[in-house]
Amino acid sequence: MNRHPHSIVSFVGALMLPVLGSASTPVTPKADWAPPGGRIGYVLTNEVSWGVRETPDHKEECPDGFNIGPREQFAELYPKDGKKRTLAETQLKREAEVWAPDTTPDKFPFHEATGKYALGIDLDGKATPEDFESDDGRKGIDNQLFRVVGCVRNYRQEGELGIITTKWRAQKPFNRVTFEITGVDSLKNDSDVMVSYYRTLDTLLAGPTGNYMPGGSQRVDARFGKRFIARAKGRIVDGVLETQPFDQLLVPEDGMGDPAINIFRTAQLRLKLTPEGAEGVLGGFVDVEQWYYAMNTSWATHHAAYGQASAASIYKALRRLADGFPDPETGENTAISGYLAVKLVQAYVIQPDAANTNKVAAK
Amino acid sequence: MTRTSLIALFLVTAPLVAAASGTMAYWPEKAVVQKEQFEPVPMPPGFQIVVTEQEGPVFADSRGHTLYTWPVRQLRNGPVGERKGQPSCDKTVYTVNSGLMSPYPGGFELPEVATRPSCVDLWPPAIAADDAKPIGKWTIAQRKDGSKQWAYDGYALYTSVLDDQPGEVNGGISGSTGEVGVRRPAEAPSMVPPQFSVATRLTGRTLTTIDNYSVYATTKDQPDKSNCTGACLEEWKPIVAPAYAKPRGEFAVIERSPGIFQWTFRKQPLYTHVGEPFSKMYGSDVPGWYNVYTQYTPKPPAEFSVQESPTGLVLADKNGKTVYIYMCADDALDQQACDHPDSPQIYRFTVCGGGDPKRCVERFPYVLAPKDAKSDNHLWTAMWIDPMTGKKAKPNQTGALYVWAYRERPVYTHYRDRKAGDMTADQWGEFYGYRNGYKAFWLRSDFGGRGE
Repeated sequence: MNRHPHSIVSFVGALMLPVLGSASTPVTPKADWAPPGGRIGYVLTNEVSWGVRETPDHKEECPDGFNIGPREQFAELYPKDGKKRTLAETQLKREAEVWAPDTTPDKFPFHEATGKYALGIDLDGKATPEDFESDDGRKGIDNQLFRVVGCVRNYRQEGELGIITTKWRAQKPFNRVTFEITGVDSLKNDSDVMVSYYRTLDTLLAGPTGNYMPGGSQRVDARFGKRFIARAKGRIVDGVLETQPFDQLLVPEDGMGDPAINIFRTAQLRLKLTPEGAEGVLGGFVDVEQWYYAMNTSWATHHAAYGQASAASIYKALRRLADGFPDPETGENTAISGYLAVKLVQAYVIQPDAANTNKVAAK
Repeated sequence: MTRTSLIALFLVTAPLVAAASGTMAYWPEKAVVQKEQFEPVPMPPGFQIVVTEQEGPVFADSRGHTLYTWPVRQLRNGPVGERKGQPSCDKTVYTVNSGLMSPYPGGFELPEVATRPSCVDLWPPAIAADDAKPIGKWTIAQRKDGSKQWAYDGYALYTSVLDDQPGEVNGGISGSTGEVGVRRPAEAPSMVPPQFSVATRLTGRTLTTIDNYSVYATTKDQPDKSNCTGACLEEWKPIVAPAYAKPRGEFAVIERSPGIFQWTFRKQPLYTHVGEPFSKMYGSDVPGWYNVYTQYTPKPPAEFSVQESPTGLVLADKNGKTVYIYMCADDALDQQACDHPDSPQIYRFTVCGGGDPKRCVERFPYVLAPKDAKSDNHLWTAMWIDPMTGKKAKPNQTGALYVWAYRERPVYTHYRDRKAGDMTADQWGEFYGYRNGYKAFWLRSDFGGRGE
């Protein structure tokens, strides 16, 4: 079995690069280091994937291949057989299944991602049969969203989400979120730090080739971004930040001009830290309904069809595989364990001046 | 006019535009009566310019009915609309969809096909007499049936059967419509110097620079006198007029220092906000500073509110729930609107309730109007709707609802929005809500790319 698929290799490899003192001058990483004032911020620049662990030939996670999408499903349901059909019984019926989905059995086979390994965190402290193992040997990894989207091309590196979302993550101001770690005595090992999460207001600091650079500043959006603010305690072990659960993290995702927000309940971070950047996963139990409708308002059927992402089929899989936050009345799970694989660069977090909160936040 | 009364007028026109939260402070407290001025462009006999409530000055026919164009638009699988000098809206009754919107193919029978009107049934052409002569940007296009049609800037002109009264613009909008080939009101040129433009927002017509930066004024100035000096100039940049600039309409020039001239509008010295990205309105958050409007839209009904959302300011109902408008254009070659109660409702029912009208009422409830609701404007009206058909109902008809409507289209809230500022149904529906779906009623979008 391939324990080091190419994306994982590059992911880990990147972490082993020498720490860069500037964009052009490599310096030897310090064995230990503490940020000035015990405070360091990281702004999210890259949304690498929705926690999808890819192998080069996809045989490990998608042995039966990939799922078909809206265009292919439509062609199967309504073949060009000369039969007259109405818009109501074809296109509008399909769109109705997108906007009023249900959990009836799927008319099409749905290939769930499988295998032993996945990105993620043991969110519930239990190792159960449906859990995965991480590439670094951690057990009990909860990542059922990987099963849902792992064999949908749109959610893989070749898909439109993979290609475009990272660009928008960086470009669109709605998406700007920043973590600040405070009380840091050592970026290598510290048993008690505080992690704060903000929507922030500034463009990313970019180098001449479009690479995102450390050293920029991010002003906290204390007005329209008030609802995003969250805090949790954490610890740093061998340079990896692990947080206790945030009550929830709201992660904005502006796709095609749409301000959607994903909700990660009992969210946790697991990020490899350097003075210049961080990368790893942001995960938790993702609110199923919110994730589903955020997907649909961010991606029209047209764009979803590019990556063979059938919303109606994905919804059924989401509900089938949801593994958290049971509805108190029905007992049905309302959330699914899932992750964003992310990259961040260091940024200075600027808190609004209390006397001019609106003014500063609105700039 | 005395200096005192001038100052009083100046303060009345300086609106309360501070950030709103659950109040209607986004519009001026008192109605502002000024209307946008327009250039006296040459027109053929029988036409006029009407200053409408939202689009400002538009060309209209002799009845005052707004004129529209249908500019060609590239959709995913091909173009729709009209090229300059080539009117194509005719008596053809299309029966199948065109398949111009991927991923669905064409050739499927359209809803209510037996009663489907033709393009000219909905969009009567502005027919030109045989001896009509072009004038200015007004030209004459040849229709395929041999008749002649007036065109402006090359595009053939039509009226809309949805407009009954002078000043109504129910046939189309000038704002963003996404990848849909809809009609647009034929806007008449505003009387602004070449350095300026006017942007249509849901709150009104805001003055911008020609490169789309918001224009501001301040209550700290006096009529025709700027008090912005020293540190003020670090944040506010006077809009400098060339030495040869002449007063025109409501614009004038003051000499703020020897040889340095600044534009004024209605006696207010004009500025841009240093460092503010184009098309944003951040400067109005600074105490004493406000966006300059050539005219405001009529204030929404009193029970509506304005809420702060993660994207900006959004119109909400009396409970603070975000208000949505529904947009729809079908996929036939003539791209007929399906967003108003006289059009087929199956499109809306598809996205609001999976085809079930009852579910639609639960998920996208209408914003109810009090039974004694009255309107003094064209934009906000109340109408009777049968929620099971989605079409207009007779007053007090069994099961009918009296609902608020914007541009003769009902407005809605959404069941998944739980607290003020939630906006979970923005872009809900086909093609980001533009082709068949819902858009939040954005008054100010700080983070999205559109909306105002």
